[in-house]
Amino acid sequence: METPILKPIGTPVEQLDTPSLILDLSVLERNIEYMHSFFCDKDVTLRPNVSTHLCPAIAHKQVAAGGTSGGICVTTVGQAEIFAESGFTDLFLTTVTVTPLKIVRLCALALSANITLAADNIHAVRGISEIALSKNVKLDVVVEINSGLDMCGVEPGYPALELAKVIHESPSLNFAGLMTDHGLLNHMDTNNLSDEIHRCIGDVIETKNIIEKDGLSVDKVSVGGTTGFDVVSEIEEVTEIRAGSYALLDGTYSTFEPQFGVAARVMTTVTSLPEVGIIITDGGGKSIGSEWGNPSVDNLTDVTVQGLSAEHVNLRRSLDIVDVPSIGSKVWFTPSDMRTCSNLHDYFFGVRGGILETVWNISARGRYR
Amino acid sequence: MDTYRPPIGTSVENLDTPLFVVDMDSLEHNFRVVAEAYKNSSCKMREHAKNIKTPFLARMQIEAGGTVGGVCCAKVSEAEAMFLGGITDILIPNQIVSEDKIVRLCGLARRGDIKVCVDSLKNVRDISDISVRERVTIGVLIEINTGMDRAGIRTIEEGVELARIISELPGIEFRGVMSHQHLYGHPTRDERYLEGAKMIQICLDVKKAIEDDGIPVEIVSSGETWSYDLARDIGGITEVEGGTYALMGTSAKHMGMFKYAGKVLASVISTPRPDFAIGDVGSRGLAVGGSLIPDVDGLSGVTVESIASEQIVLKSDGEMPLKIGDKFMLNPGYQDGLVNQWDRFVGIRNGLVEGVWDIPGRGCFH
Repeated sequence: METPILKPIGTPVEQLDTPSLILDLSVLERNIEYMHSFFCDKDVTLRPNVSTHLCPAIAHKQVAAGGTSGGICVTTVGQAEIFAESGFTDLFLTTVTVTPLKIVRLCALALSANITLAADNIHAVRGISEIALSKNVKLDVVVEINSGLDMCGVEPGYPALELAKVIHESPSLNFAGLMTDHGLLNHMDTNNLSDEIHRCIGDVIETKNIIEKDGLSVDKVSVGGTTGFDVVSEIEEVTEIRAGSYALLDGTYSTFEPQFGVAARVMTTVTSLPEVGIIITDGGGKSIGSEWGNPSVDNLTDVTVQGLSAEHVNLRRSLDIVDVPSIGSKVWFTPSDMRTCSNLHDYFFGVRGGILETVWNISARGRYR
Repeated sequence: MDTYRPPIGTSVENLDTPLFVVDMDSLEHNFRVVAEAYKNSSCKMREHAKNIKTPFLARMQIEAGGTVGGVCCAKVSEAEAMFLGGITDILIPNQIVSEDKIVRLCGLARRGDIKVCVDSLKNVRDISDISVRERVTIGVLIEINTGMDRAGIRTIEEGVELARIISELPGIEFRGVMSHQHLYGHPTRDERYLEGAKMIQICLDVKKAIEDDGIPVEIVSSGETWSYDLARDIGGITEVEGGTYALMGTSAKHMGMFKYAGKVLASVISTPRPDFAIGDVGSRGLAVGGSLIPDVDGLSGVTVESIASEQIVLKSDGEMPLKIGDKFMLNPGYQDGLVNQWDRFVGIRNGLVEGVWDIPGRGCFH
């Protein structure tokens, strides 16, 4: 458990213990306002992917901002339990679930919440179906389609139809529709983004048509990703967009989604200035994360990240820099991947105008199962 | 926080996944190797708690032997976690600079033998001022850069100057010198000995200069898992800061005397293509910092293709031997990070759960 020295509400942010994950509440509110108001007057709904922040307090703000059906999506059963406990009653688990202990837990959740889950293989569908039958619950199941990401997902077209039929024929399951993650992220040339999105989702729409021709209704067409949400929202057949990164952003998304601001950053303290040109701070792999690249430095110019070790950030600065930090001064980082970073912390320290306003629990941290 | 606590005696096949498991036979083997290595030596192990974050595991090594009776901790909060687990001889091989944290350190120093490393005059003065105010004595070691170009003094002269000031100031006691070494890749034994000796000599040179200045140097702390044997053989090193050896990871696979003990148990959730399998653990549960990718344990020809937050993609060079629902084990690349991702671990022996233990130092980066 993260055990910082906890300071009272009203403390200036620079006096907080480090390294800590600091949430700029004004930026968070602007990001949510921008995204949710976009969906308020549209048929397509936004389903916040809360696995990026793992924090019920943020999820409540997202749903309260409108543009959603009230539902959220999660990536593990453990996350679903935390968010159900926090009052959410429409939960979409987008990860294929096969182990019996997890399916039993989902069935228990289904007694008090609407549970939708993804499947991409008959083995998973049979397991879910049998356990749901024995627990006397009915679960909504969507077929996950591989639209090019090459992770989970059945191939579009007839393989998806076969799976949809098996789901439909299971008495304890309801075939609820289709989902895909287009997975078009940072490496995309934005000029091609629209074409790529239409290609990915075109496969899903074709699958929908095939399934409907076979007599099944496809109520839900759910597409994942913050990237290109505006392009996806114009596609008539898409019923919901699952997005999460827009709320907090990170170093990867900030390049491609300039309409949003970075809301969560890690504040660290300079612990050593061993020679001219080197700055060491108390962040590192265990508090910032370097899974998808080094973080960027926010409040110093002409400084580059040489590397992260577990508990150190090793910075190099150009020798003619004027504003040299001293030992004890603060260095702020934007993590490259917020999903990694939020999972390293137990608290978001919510700050407005440089003053601590609230401390939110990252309750679903560590819930991998 | 995770809430899963499988009953003692549960077989591995019946465990839910993903799960951080520790092979107790391998763990005990690793502790025995270290105990044996330092048995008849003046050099001892001071296990680095950042790699285990669990006082119970540190005490297993202390009981097995070959140690100074204490541990290293990277941070004050981690030291607190180990202290609460009954370990009171703690060296922090890192700089603690903010007043809050130094005061917190003083709290531990009231009841334990607490030592911290410094590399700047300002830090030395701050620790002295605060420990005088708090009426405790904190042990101080000088960190020496021996090639990592991270923290640490850069010259012998700096070291001697700092040692003089530390010995004169109240509230602190000069205890010795400390250095880390890192060697990239997977060197042979000869390469380790050659490179390690060069790096450690820098530390020994500073030690000698301080002694020549009339200041006794009690502790010479140096080394890592990769240099645990050569640090002993060189002579002059009093304690080694080894960490990775306990649970092991692929980053240290050239240290074949240690066995993989910490692993992640996962299940296959999908086999969308004939030579692929998707597992139910990803970068969050594995930690892959610095692109340290895990190995698939015991399945030849199966490698990690890619990793997402909660999923891992495995590729087989022939037909994928894993089916949906099958379990597999991963040996971590970034073992240090892995331990920090989990609230507890499940000890297994002969395929059965032997114990479920909390990891109190998880997230203790303050």
